[in-house]
Amino acid sequence: MAKFCINDNVDVLIEVLKRLDDRSLGVAACVCKTWCSLTRNDSFWEHMCFRQLSPPPEGVRAVVVALGGYRRLYICCVKPVREVREFNRVWTRHEMELSLSLFCVDYYERVLLGGGGGSGGGRLGSDSAASASLMLLCKAVNV
Amino acid sequence: MKRDNPNQLNFATSSSSNKGKMWCEEQDAGGVDELFAVLGYKVKSSDMAEVAQKLEQLEEVMGSAQQDGLSQIASDTVHYNPSDLSSWLESMISELNPLPNFDPFSSVVQDPFLESSTVTSIDSHSHNSLNSHVRPQISAANQQHMVVDSDFGSDLISIPGKAVYPTSQLQPQPQHQPQTKKLKSSSYSGLGNSTTVSWGLPNESISAQPIESPRPMLLVDSQENGIRLVHTLMACAEAVQQQNLKLAEALVKQIGFLAVSQAGAMRKVATYFAEALARRIYKLYPTNPQDRAFTDLLQMHFYETCPYLKFAHFTANQAILEAFAGKSRVHIIDFSMKQGMQWPALLQALALRPGGPPSVRLTGVGPPSHDNIDHLQEVGCRLAQLAETIKVEFDYRGFVANSLADLNASMFDIREGEVVAMNSIFELHQLLARPGSIEKVLQVVSEMKPEILTVVEQEANHNGSVFLDRFTESLHYYSTLFDSLESSGGCDVGGGVVSDQDKVMSEVYLGRQICNVVACEGPDRVERHETLVQWRTRFNSAGFEPVHLGSNAYKQASMLLALFAGGDGYRVEEKDGCLTLGWHTRPLIATSAWKLR
Repeated sequence: MAKFCINDNVDVLIEVLKRLDDRSLGVAACVCKTWCSLTRNDSFWEHMCFRQLSPPPEGVRAVVVALGGYRRLYICCVKPVREVREFNRVWTRHEMELSLSLFCVDYYERVLLGGGGGSGGGRLGSDSAASASLMLLCKAVNV
Repeated sequence: MKRDNPNQLNFATSSSSNKGKMWCEEQDAGGVDELFAVLGYKVKSSDMAEVAQKLEQLEEVMGSAQQDGLSQIASDTVHYNPSDLSSWLESMISELNPLPNFDPFSSVVQDPFLESSTVTSIDSHSHNSLNSHVRPQISAANQQHMVVDSDFGSDLISIPGKAVYPTSQLQPQPQHQPQTKKLKSSSYSGLGNSTTVSWGLPNESISAQPIESPRPMLLVDSQENGIRLVHTLMACAEAVQQQNLKLAEALVKQIGFLAVSQAGAMRKVATYFAEALARRIYKLYPTNPQDRAFTDLLQMHFYETCPYLKFAHFTANQAILEAFAGKSRVHIIDFSMKQGMQWPALLQALALRPGGPPSVRLTGVGPPSHDNIDHLQEVGCRLAQLAETIKVEFDYRGFVANSLADLNASMFDIREGEVVAMNSIFELHQLLARPGSIEKVLQVVSEMKPEILTVVEQEANHNGSVFLDRFTESLHYYSTLFDSLESSGGCDVGGGVVSDQDKVMSEVYLGRQICNVVACEGPDRVERHETLVQWRTRFNSAGFEPVHLGSNAYKQASMLLALFAGGDGYRVEEKDGCLTLGWHTRPLIATSAWKLR
């Protein structure tokens, strides 16, 4: 009799993983390489983002994928917004819209502003821009 | 001795009777002096005269003890029981080495105190010692030795002493409540010629110290110093208004000392205001910053640190989104392009709206840049990249203009069938510096027949014709703003943790505004904020009527604020269809939307 190994039955595994919450999914990613690559699949995170919202609105996927993917959307925007509202409350359209807007702003700052440090509007987190801006303060600025 | 006639023992004469009234405190039935009770002391009224006498002596001794005597006090951080004031003073006096001129006092100490009815009035330069020197725990850390120009010694010390204690309320927090505004400037009018009355010491020559020597003053207890600081700021502003520059100069120095004793927001605000006042006094007017890149950088930090700009962008976007519902070709004209932070969110919302995105044109207006980089064009490129990523048809054009009043409707190339939205975030108030500009701009706007005009402005009146009013208003406004900065932790989204650098840059950003409001005049003073009510009048007379921002905007704004650490203090309110964001009870910025009648 063959032993049942979950890794041989990926479709079952996916069904199980789909039902996990975000933290457990992260823990699951640490189990083995198979599980790790599975959990990085964006569809899990899409499910996580829009689990309570049905049906998911049209065209969102293309936009989200273009802006960095559902996993990033979840970690960056959905989770904080959800945490502010109680966790088990129904995820409303407003919250989704706000998350998506913030996600877009995040993309803009991260990708587009991060590279353009020369114009002085550089990414706040990057070190070179940070030290450059502090150096500006050392100059006698006419306040 | 009971103070049965409070009027006689006032520290001001009838020349400034307002102040006198402040001091006519009814005595507590339990015999405890109420003024001292306010400070935290329990001093029986019967002991008052004795206490005062000893204080006078202490002051003489300390005055003549100069450095040595004080350093002994400075190193002594023993705290005495404040409710037993007499013995505390006694111990202090005895600790100091008896100096030659102390001996004449010893006879006075033993003298029976005369009836309070023999109150003698001393000439104007002898100041009342009581409130300057009675302080709770003197600790080395808080002690400051301040030498004041003798001409203004009495006035300066009398400022904190007089009119400081409102009858029933004490203002404990550094956060300044609106009540301070109510203290009329007239309470300072008698500064020049106040005569102080001293406790009825029989021997005038003792109490009338040689007034030429500057009197030291101990500053302790930052709570009181906070109150004193505000009053000194106000007094300085009034001196500036009356062109009494010598007094103003002395006061500005005092502000410097007082500000250091404060912590947090109050210190920063006081420092900025003091600097601005100093600039005004010494006529070192700041030139308007040419370095736009730096200003934009400061604004970016401000954007990250606190929610005001994000609120402005999101609420304006919501209004524009609703105005664009069902339209297939849209044209946005932005008067406040800067880094273009407002538009990614709108582009995304348009991309995902039911029915698909419209084709979008964006025209950005900005000031000329002084380095060789075309900032406007760079911003446009980035937005175009974003639009391509999310598959929105996008076209960008940048306009450079020194002032919005230089623009004409024909420049914008409004095409047939496209719907126009115009947006201005913190730009319109700058037009008020030159007469006629705002009318021209509104005229141009109405010629372009926009579907909607979104305006976000500071909710404050910093454009009054009287300097002192402007100063007062802006002091309260920026105090509130700095308070909110203190508690800000940045937005949770994007893993935002606000670094100290962000906060400092935000403060510099606001500091520039303060400097402009206080120190500049004429066309240089561009931070001419006006309230929503004032703007409404302007827009109405230019032919616009308000568009109500819907509940969607309100909900989104509330959610956005909840994401910011320190979100409890922020308040979104709806006022006649406009949304305001404020800190606790004070609205700070207001978003409104307008369309042509």
